Amino acid sequence: MKQSEQSGGKARGIERHTMGASGRDTLLFLFPLLFLSIFFYFPLVSILNEGLTDESRRFTLNHVAAVLTDRYSIRVILFTVEQALISTAASVLLGLPGAYILARYDFRGKSIIRAVTTVPFVLPSIIVVLGFVIFFGNNGMLNRSLMATFNLEEPPLKVLYSMRAIILAHTFYNFPICIRLVSAVWSRVNPNLEKAATSLGARGMRLFWHVLLPQIMPGILAAAALIFIFCFTSFAVILVLGGGPKFTTIEVAIYRYAKVSLDLKAGSALAIVESFLSVFFMYAYIRLQKQVSFAEEIQLRYEKKKLVTILRSPKGALAVFYLFVTFMLIIAPMLAAVSYSFLKRSGWAGRTTFTLEWYRRFISELSSGALAVSYRAAVRNSLFFGALTVLLSLPLGTTIAYITTRKQLPARGLIEAFAMLPLGISSIILGLGYIKAYQSLPVDITGSWYAIAFAHTVIAYPFVLRAATSVFRKINPRLIQAALSLGATPWRAFWRVELPLIKSGLIAGATFAFAISVGEINATLMLYNPQFTTIPIAIYRLISSYNFFAAAALGTVLMAICFAVFLLIDKIGFEVS
Amino acid sequence: MSLILDKITKVYPDFFIDVSLSAEKGEIITLLGPSGCGKTTTLHIIVGFIPPDTGRISLNGRDVTALPPFARKVGLVFQEYALFPNMNVFKNIAFGLRMQGWSRRDTEARVRGLLELIRLPRYEARNVSELSGGEQQRIALARALAPNPDLLLLDEPLSALDAKLRNQLRSEIRRIQRELELTTVYVTHDQEEALAISDRVVVMKDGRVEQAGSSYEIYNRPKTRFVAQFVGITNMLPARVSSTRGGYTRLSSPEGTFLTNYHGSLEKGQKVTLLVRPEKCLIGGETTNENRVMGRITGCEYLGDSTIISLTLKQNPFTVKIFGPLTCKVGEEVRISFSPEACWILRD
Repeated sequence: MKQSEQSGGKARGIERHTMGASGRDTLLFLFPLLFLSIFFYFPLVSILNEGLTDESRRFTLNHVAAVLTDRYSIRVILFTVEQALISTAASVLLGLPGAYILARYDFRGKSIIRAVTTVPFVLPSIIVVLGFVIFFGNNGMLNRSLMATFNLEEPPLKVLYSMRAIILAHTFYNFPICIRLVSAVWSRVNPNLEKAATSLGARGMRLFWHVLLPQIMPGILAAAALIFIFCFTSFAVILVLGGGPKFTTIEVAIYRYAKVSLDLKAGSALAIVESFLSVFFMYAYIRLQKQVSFAEEIQLRYEKKKLVTILRSPKGALAVFYLFVTFMLIIAPMLAAVSYSFLKRSGWAGRTTFTLEWYRRFISELSSGALAVSYRAAVRNSLFFGALTVLLSLPLGTTIAYITTRKQLPARGLIEAFAMLPLGISSIILGLGYIKAYQSLPVDITGSWYAIAFAHTVIAYPFVLRAATSVFRKINPRLIQAALSLGATPWRAFWRVELPLIKSGLIAGATFAFAISVGEINATLMLYNPQFTTIPIAIYRLISSYNFFAAAALGTVLMAICFAVFLLIDKIGFEVS
Repeated sequence: MSLILDKITKVYPDFFIDVSLSAEKGEIITLLGPSGCGKTTTLHIIVGFIPPDTGRISLNGRDVTALPPFARKVGLVFQEYALFPNMNVFKNIAFGLRMQGWSRRDTEARVRGLLELIRLPRYEARNVSELSGGEQQRIALARALAPNPDLLLLDEPLSALDAKLRNQLRSEIRRIQRELELTTVYVTHDQEEALAISDRVVVMKDGRVEQAGSSYEIYNRPKTRFVAQFVGITNMLPARVSSTRGGYTRLSSPEGTFLTNYHGSLEKGQKVTLLVRPEKCLIGGETTNENRVMGRITGCEYLGDSTIISLTLKQNPFTVKIFGPLTCKVGEEVRISFSPEACWILRD
């Protein structure tokens, strides 16, 4: 007992009086507190207030009750859950063989496959949508090549604007998450357990069912929970690929309430219901994730078999086939988008020809087609918001990480939960909160550039927080003690010893925040005015007006930005999930 | 006195420190005790990471109690080296000099000199991650010595190293400390290490000083049962004083009567504990030793240079250490003998 207190004291080691004045501490707390209060909690409370009061500002549950009894809302909620469940099941089933292969086999290109599983975390949803429309669309690549090959009059595959499209897109988007999380757990399973079970007579399915599955189940559940959350709050995919009231999810319904029918009461009530659910799912995910990381860390690893040596066996051939198909599944829509960006078509059924026309438009400042701004301005806006997001989320996330890892705090768990809550609230709801919260104030910030920047910061900073927390935890407190004993003031110790060591983590977090901002469409769509059109918004507008070729060019630029981010993160080795 | 801790206290919810100690210029003192006894906390109070609740710390006549760690001029070496991973050997050693604003030329000369002192010349450009544990610890020592500290603190500096290297580095530290005449506080839980390296050993228990003295005193003249048991193996037999005369004390116990040369003041009939170190006993053979007692062998461990024999007397277990091999049979009755000079008495 004393022992643990002692070692706890040792680990922190440095007490308050050496860490500088308490005035500086107050400032340290004040910045994140103010920022989150104004740009996250105030909007959130505004939604609660709007959804839980009547016209005369009295508390009522009528609006929430209406949402839970209204036929339209019930259908929307049920559909949201249904598509998320099916998408999750499909993603997990498609991902599990990949998890097995990555955990058990060694082969050339494995690091590439592993890196590709980061794609869902970095790739903006609008790119997935774009790739799908171009690849699977009625007039898309797949149908065109099938029609050309088999001399068909009609496109044989009608995938878009249906439940199938939603499930397919979600599965494509999310199954790499399953590969990533489950293979990590799977490769940590103690191989001696399996040997022991085999020596006791367990084989085949029984070995899997009784010995392996219980070990990897927490990993599967954690992956499923995360995928479910992503699908549950998915927005752009549903908005474009679902279309129509039949395939409306809660997110899309809130968006329509806020931007089309301007019914903020109904929107807020629905938002309250959704937030309850999403925070609950998030909580479940965090619990499961903890279980996974608490699983005993062992040195023993499976002896990985060489995939090549077993290629001749049916199992090996199957594995290679799986890898090929899934790799293509991830790459094909993106490749389709890239190749489309160099093409144009004269008329609906005309021939496609090579062109650089779309890229030429990036040079011009003229606004074009369905957009109020030029392509160049869209790129500029995106980079501008991305940079602002980094500038704001980096100090915000780092400060909170510093406080939660270094300071003696009462109710640490509660403070951490408050800091992480933005992860559990969808960005559509955040946008709705801004609309509602700042409607009544003298300055309406919706439609302003700073509203978008603040929203992006709230969405992105938890990732900075996570990256910074993990690097702060990794630093041996003795290093700082050593610096202090050698005559360095706390500030110089931070600057010369600590900062160089946390730099790479902070860069990873900042890069990730940048990627999130550049790819963000949900909150942006709620808040932007045409002047601040970003790349994702521009792509969305162009898809809506069926200008897929132009959309593909912007999509290619966005992919290039995200690819650079992806390379950087992969190099630094930041765990994104 | 170079270092004085004057009635230092620090209270935690379930633990407290209450320590007074001092070290002379050039002296090496060891804080010895089991983990959780407060030795590292005491060290952190000295260096300034933990402010004491009451008491005064003075270093070469300066009162440093209120000074932050970076103003105390105290060098610190950790168990796990704690070299800055983002710096090479040169930059690690030069860190403290840089904080003091040394010139480039002086810094280079100083680092070169220190590398020679620790016998790792021309290591400047090495990356710390490519060094062995022993090398890393020597670099850590050089880093702590670089800014000419008034006091050197070593917190279990050898615990992370293997046995052979530990002994080698131990004498190395001793040599350097002597050469520099540097007042040093050394923390360890290893009694052999403490006895070997110290001018004075301070045995700690539950946040207090249990006994302070030379290695010889701590080993041969323990003041408490805890010190006797913590430092080496010892035999303990409960007894009563039956007579004291001419510098000798005679004890009686259920195991027999014993003559000791203890000449502290003791009352006749007083309850005491007789202490005998295992290596001061003999087994069997002809002997002139006054104290003889029969025991049955329960176990025998041959260690190469010595043999440890476990026995039971009438009531108490007993251990004897013989140098060299000994053929012994478990269950055999043998005679154990030891001289009056081998005995020490603890008052209960």
